[in-house]
Amino acid sequence: MLKRLKGMFGKNEDDGMIILSPIKGEIRDITEVSDITFRDKLLGEGIAIWPETGRVVAPVDGTIATMFITKHACTIVSDQGVEILIHVGLDTVNLKGEYYKSYVKDGDKVKAGDLILEFDMDRIKEAGYDLITPVVICNSATYSKVETITGKKAEELDVIMQIAK
Amino acid sequence: MKELRYVITDEVGLHARPAGLLVSTASKFDCRIKIKSGTKEVDGKSILGVMSLALKKGDEMHLIFDGIDEDVACEEIQTFLRENI
Repeated sequence: MLKRLKGMFGKNEDDGMIILSPIKGEIRDITEVSDITFRDKLLGEGIAIWPETGRVVAPVDGTIATMFITKHACTIVSDQGVEILIHVGLDTVNLKGEYYKSYVKDGDKVKAGDLILEFDMDRIKEAGYDLITPVVICNSATYSKVETITGKKAEELDVIMQIAK
Repeated sequence: MKELRYVITDEVGLHARPAGLLVSTASKFDCRIKIKSGTKEVDGKSILGVMSLALKKGDEMHLIFDGIDEDVACEEIQTFLRENI
C-alpha cells in the first residue's frame, strides 16, 4: 500500500537511475558532436562533455566491461544494468594510446568517483583532435526515457542523466 | 543457418564508429546474429558485446546468422564489412 502511494506522489526511486558526470566540464547535447556515430545516436542516447580537466572517473557503481587497448574509450555496466560508453575525443583511436593513461582493466569493479583514465588535453589538442567526449547509454533502447541535463558546467559526479525503466 | 568469416582490414580495427554501424545494421534483422573471435562469443546486436571483442587489423571475425531473414542479413552485413572494416 505504501509503495503504491509513493508511486502516486512522485518518482519511485527504484524505477529511476542516475548517471553522474565522469569529467569536469561543460555538458552539451549529443547532437552537437560532429561525428555522425554520436550525433545521430547510432550508439544510443547521451550527452557530450567539453572537458576542463584531463580526468575520467566512474560515473556509476559498476564493472568495467571493456577498457579499449588504445585507452581513449571505455565501456562500463552499472550495477543496475545501464551500459555506458565514454569516448574521450573524436577519432582519437588514431593516437593508438598516446597521451592516455588507464587505471582500470576489463572486469574491474568500480565505485562512482574511482579514477578510470587520465588524458593529456594539451597534447591531444595540439595533435589536431577534437576533445569533445560523448557519454552514451548503449542500451538506451531498453529504457522508456533517458533525460539529459545539458547546457551547463558540471563538476565530477554532478547528475547529468536520469534514466527511467 | 548462415555463416560468414571476415578479416578486419581497417588500420585501427573495429573501433566505436564501425562497431556502432555494424550493430545498427545487424539490429535491423529478426535473425539471431552471433559474432565469434578466438574464444569469445558475443551478441552481434549488442554494442558492448561487439566492442568487447577488441578486434584489431588482421583479426578474424566469425558471424553466425540464425533466423527467418538470415540470407539477406548475411549478405547485407558482408557488404557492410567489405565497405567499412
